Amino acid sequence: MAFIKQHITETVEQCERKQGRDCFSLELQLSDPSPSSRRWAARDLAECPNASAALVEQLQREEDRSVREIILTTLTHLGDEEAVAGLVNCLRSEDASLRNEAIEAMKLLPDEVAPIMGQLLKDADPDVRIFAVNVLESLRHKQVEEWLNEVIEHDAHVNVCATAVDLLGEVGTSYSWEALEKLKARFPDEPYIRFATDLALKRISAS
Amino acid sequence: MATKPISLENFLKFREFFYRKTGIQFEDSKRYFVDKRLIERIEATDSGNFRNYFITLRFETTGEELQLLTNLMTVNETYFFREEYQFKSLVNSILPEITAHKKDNRPLRIWSMPSSSGEEAYSIAMYLLEYWPGINQWDVEIISSDIDTSILAKARLGKFSDRSIQNLPKNLLNKYFRHNGDDYQICDDLRNSVEFTRVNLMKPTEVRGYREFDVIFCRNLLIYFDDLSRRQAADTFFDGLNPGGFLCLGHSESMSRISSLYQVRKLADSVVYQKSREAR
Repeated sequence: MAFIKQHITETVEQCERKQGRDCFSLELQLSDPSPSSRRWAARDLAECPNASAALVEQLQREEDRSVREIILTTLTHLGDEEAVAGLVNCLRSEDASLRNEAIEAMKLLPDEVAPIMGQLLKDADPDVRIFAVNVLESLRHKQVEEWLNEVIEHDAHVNVCATAVDLLGEVGTSYSWEALEKLKARFPDEPYIRFATDLALKRISAS
Repeated sequence: MATKPISLENFLKFREFFYRKTGIQFEDSKRYFVDKRLIERIEATDSGNFRNYFITLRFETTGEELQLLTNLMTVNETYFFREEYQFKSLVNSILPEITAHKKDNRPLRIWSMPSSSGEEAYSIAMYLLEYWPGINQWDVEIISSDIDTSILAKARLGKFSDRSIQNLPKNLLNKYFRHNGDDYQICDDLRNSVEFTRVNLMKPTEVRGYREFDVIFCRNLLIYFDDLSRRQAADTFFDGLNPGGFLCLGHSESMSRISSLYQVRKLADSVVYQKSREAR
């Protein structure tokens, strides 16, 4: 037995012949019975600028986690309005892993998510507001602190505020000082809010 | 004005953030190394102090500064038998497991990416010849890819410096290399054992043919990618692997922060990532 060499390009050509790779065929292949074909279709659709609608539709019904993950990667890559709306929709899903995957994907889209962040943080569902704060955790955007201040100053739900104040413990600056003091005053009987706010204030004064 | 030293509080804050973003964990003993580079970048970006710089690092939309700092915090070098414990895993755990489950006699396929000047791919070939008895029963195909055609040409040539061979045991150096002036020329048998190919990992059309691998080595590359590119690479490797195939990353890299597609496997010599045998 030995080391051998084959020509990798031959395999490529065989694959190319098997299934059409134009955008229309790729969208059809999103419903292929084979998860592997669906993954490859989802991946190749990254080069089709109008593919978000088909990907979002498949995402809602896709049961295979590996296919879902690749659809989310492609939606993140496309990052258009339809893709972002599809991700936001996942925040309302009952499926926790889909929700978490969508949060991770949204963190990678600061410019696209920014215009809808204000609206998400005012959503009627407190869980969606918590997920929006989770998105802020790694969102590279200069307004993050401002959004967090909005939450701790105005959100009526203690769990939403607790999530936001935790994050301010890491990213807060003196700009948040007043909002943090107000938060303590709004929830005087919540020991966790008191603890997390004091910690954030301590960290801000130390930096 | 000179930048103020980094306080312990800020060092810890940075360390936690950097670990979350890159998987690179700095021990307390590395504090001087980290502080020095942070101060260098605070001054280069005119941030004035740690806090302003940290805000740039966290919230800059392009992520350019984080990437630049990551490059500074990592050492970009390659040499024979680098992170040898993974080659030990390859011959002691990974290949025995793969061959035990293999249902056909087709060659085992190993992909080393990025190739750079070829040290990793040739190390794999040498390690199999020296330490894996299975080489007498199985054909093995080693493919080594890079985006840079000039580095691939260098890899094919097989000429290496003192620095590249510094970790090789003397007997292997004598067996597989010829000392030629300032260089060490690898023997033709090894040169012919690896297929070097050019590929852009980020181009679906280019990687589509890279499939049916049993093992993929992708070490110390993903740390240079942004988050989305890391995810795309993880997805590509997933479909590049056979069910039950293994992915080996660099010591400071972790797939757990990038993708949930893989199972973490703690082997005797290293931690690697496996595509489920049931994956379709």
